[in-house]
Amino acid sequence: MGLKIIDDFPGVAMKVPGGSVMLGVMDAVINWARANSLWPLSFGTSCCAIEMLMATGAPHQDMARFGAEVARPSPRQADLLVVAGTIVKRMAPTLRTLYEQMAEPRYVMATGACAISGGPFIYNNYSVVRGADEIIPVDVYVPGCPPRPEAFFYALLTLQRMIRSGDSLKSRHVHKRPVMSALPAGITVADIQEELRDLLERDSAVDVEKEAAAGPWAGKGYC
Amino acid sequence: MEANELQEVVLAFASGAKVREKTDRPSLTVPAASLPDLLAKLKADERLSFDMLLDHTAVDWLERGVLELFYQLFSTRHGHTLTVSAEVPREEPVAPSVSGVHLIAEWQEREVYDMFGVLYEGHPDLRRLLLDDSWVGHPLRKDYRDDHMIERPK
Amino acid sequence: MTVQAYTLDDLVKRLDPQATEGASQQYFLNLGPQHPAAHGVLRVMLFLDGETVVRAIPVLGYIHRGIEKMGESLSTRQFIHLTDRLDYLSALMNNWAVARTVEKAAGIEVSPRAEWIRTIMAELQRLQSHLLWLGVLGMDLGAFTPFLWGFRDREELTYIFEETIGARLTMNYVLPGGVMSDIHPEFAARVKKYVAYIRPKIAEYEALLSGNVILEERLRNIGRLSAEDAVSIGATGPVLRASGVALDLRKASPYGAYDKLEFQVPVGTVGDSWDRYWVRFEEMRQSIAMIEQLLGGIPEGPHMSVKPAVKVKLPEGVHYGQLETARGILGVFIAAAGGSDVPYRIHLRSPTFNNLWSVTRLAPGWRIADLVAILTTLDLVIPDIER
Ligand code: SF4
Repeated sequence: MGLKIIDDFPGVAMKVPGGSVMLGVMDAVINWARANSLWPLSFGTSCCAIEMLMATGAPHQDMARFGAEVARPSPRQADLLVVAGTIVKRMAPTLRTLYEQMAEPRYVMATGACAISGGPFIYNNYSVVRGADEIIPVDVYVPGCPPRPEAFFYALLTLQRMIRSGDSLKSRHVHKRPVMSALPAGITVADIQEELRDLLERDSAVDVEKEAAAGPWAGKGYC
Repeated sequence: MEANELQEVVLAFASGAKVREKTDRPSLTVPAASLPDLLAKLKADERLSFDMLLDHTAVDWLERGVLELFYQLFSTRHGHTLTVSAEVPREEPVAPSVSGVHLIAEWQEREVYDMFGVLYEGHPDLRRLLLDDSWVGHPLRKDYRDDHMIERPK
Repeated sequence: MTVQAYTLDDLVKRLDPQATEGASQQYFLNLGPQHPAAHGVLRVMLFLDGETVVRAIPVLGYIHRGIEKMGESLSTRQFIHLTDRLDYLSALMNNWAVARTVEKAAGIEVSPRAEWIRTIMAELQRLQSHLLWLGVLGMDLGAFTPFLWGFRDREELTYIFEETIGARLTMNYVLPGGVMSDIHPEFAARVKKYVAYIRPKIAEYEALLSGNVILEERLRNIGRLSAEDAVSIGATGPVLRASGVALDLRKASPYGAYDKLEFQVPVGTVGDSWDRYWVRFEEMRQSIAMIEQLLGGIPEGPHMSVKPAVKVKLPEGVHYGQLETARGILGVFIAAAGGSDVPYRIHLRSPTFNNLWSVTRLAPGWRIADLVAILTTLDLVIPDIER
């Protein structure tokens, strides 16, 4: 029948007289279909929204290439919640409501430092929630401030991979472990935290006054 | 008008006004009660015509126990600027509203109320602007603490 | 004892003293806080008579990030990176505003080259910001082509910024004393190429939009802001200029390299949505003209006069600086206790805060769809309003 089967179709296609049959495990086939038709809900609150939701939809980046261009403003019609931007205490209940209004199966992507951990607004701050995962379960984290559109696409591919290799339909309410999308193989979150701690320690040891006195700016009244 | 000249002219206008030291624009300190009158007069005067209230905010001087209110005035006609400041006590921060003179003061005062707890007499609609109505305290006061805030580690 | 009977209207009036006649037939609608046409997380409470707005009350606070409190424990140089995140479409100009205030306070000289870089970058960004606005305007009014075009041309600028600055959106580029890094060797050539590319494109936009009957119907005479009101609410930028007040700090009190440039300040006449649209359109042309002039002579010299490791101490007192971003006057208020590079209090006066106020004046009497047009032409960036 001239059916063109995509390479990664999870099963086999056999020619039989009068057409062809496809054989596969139902779970796998459905997951495959889901992974290739993600409809994002744009939850953009601030700077990240420009990069994650607008630039990616525009000609240069074009997320239609990844089968996820049908961005919907209504939670009823979407299955991927893209949290792009800072979430403050006042917004948190709205985010929770939006998530609950989405139909199962639903996926959440936290893009940007703010949605991961509160980002630049962690310390001495009274209003910023420290990460979307304090409010809703998150599937994929995309680091950056803001992340590059490429990082978003990589996260999309990661999510698709996750869905394809995903859980059985029977236990779809059980949440998968979240993944960090842009981490190269072999590096863990713990490694990064370790390195950051070292870096902070090294930086805070700089004696700026001394540094300044040694430079060509010494005595010019800047310090 | 030159900065000095401007300051002179304005000083003649406002009773009880003093020059506020340590600022980089012409500025004066006035008693809080005289604010609406003064701002209205500054707006109406031909030579000055300070018709735009660019900015209004406060500073919490914890040690002195006062909140200092700042009004940044601007004249779209002449292009000159003026800072007017007034002090109110921290414990009983009441100031007259200037929303009758400049429309935008309605929101600016709501913000200052939200952040510092300054109560504006005669304000048409004194509500919190940015935080939830159930919020306890006024975050930009220097002694504000809550459970959510964490200090930057040294 | 007298018995009094009430109507439904009386009941509503008892609940809401400001309610007008026929209030019991009104609808109540929340636009936002998560609405695609509200430009982020703005919430407007609407009281409607059918589809006509009777009252519009903006509700803020859905992206209030407490930046001013954070600024009290950060040095101004650290604080600058937070200003990127306010009006992220004028990130660089926000940096510049803080840097200028600190420079003025601490008496730091800036080399002509640094001023030149700042100016050309600021104009490129103004152009970029207006291009994004144009795209969003189209989308809000139901046309998708301007969005695709606007973003196509905006993205090229993003690449130019990235080459020199290393960031696409949040740049953190202007510091007290100069700019973070010198321009890329290819910079001038690429900008020249871009200018040659964008000129005819602007004409193309004009052909697509300005002569379009639908667009004109949607914008002309809608949401008129009188000059008097505009001044009284402290509106600035294109919103003020559309109402006929020619206030542009680049002209009125030139900073950077603006005093060496030839340009005009486009001014509207009646202050309706169309004027605001037209003023921004013209500003794009002016920006291109300025960029071309700037490309003519790049001064030599260092790009930075203060070593980044040096603490810039703020003298005691109150400092105020301002500058014209793509949306209007951004003011920086710093109160310093002296002897430290951390301000005692830092406050930002954001242009869109004042501009948004006009919605309460402009919306009544218009349909919801017109309200969307009014919001777009005010060019709001919500994190900038709430800080
Ligand atoms: S991660 Fe950075 S760019 Fe994204 S919303 Fe937060 S501050 Fe803005």
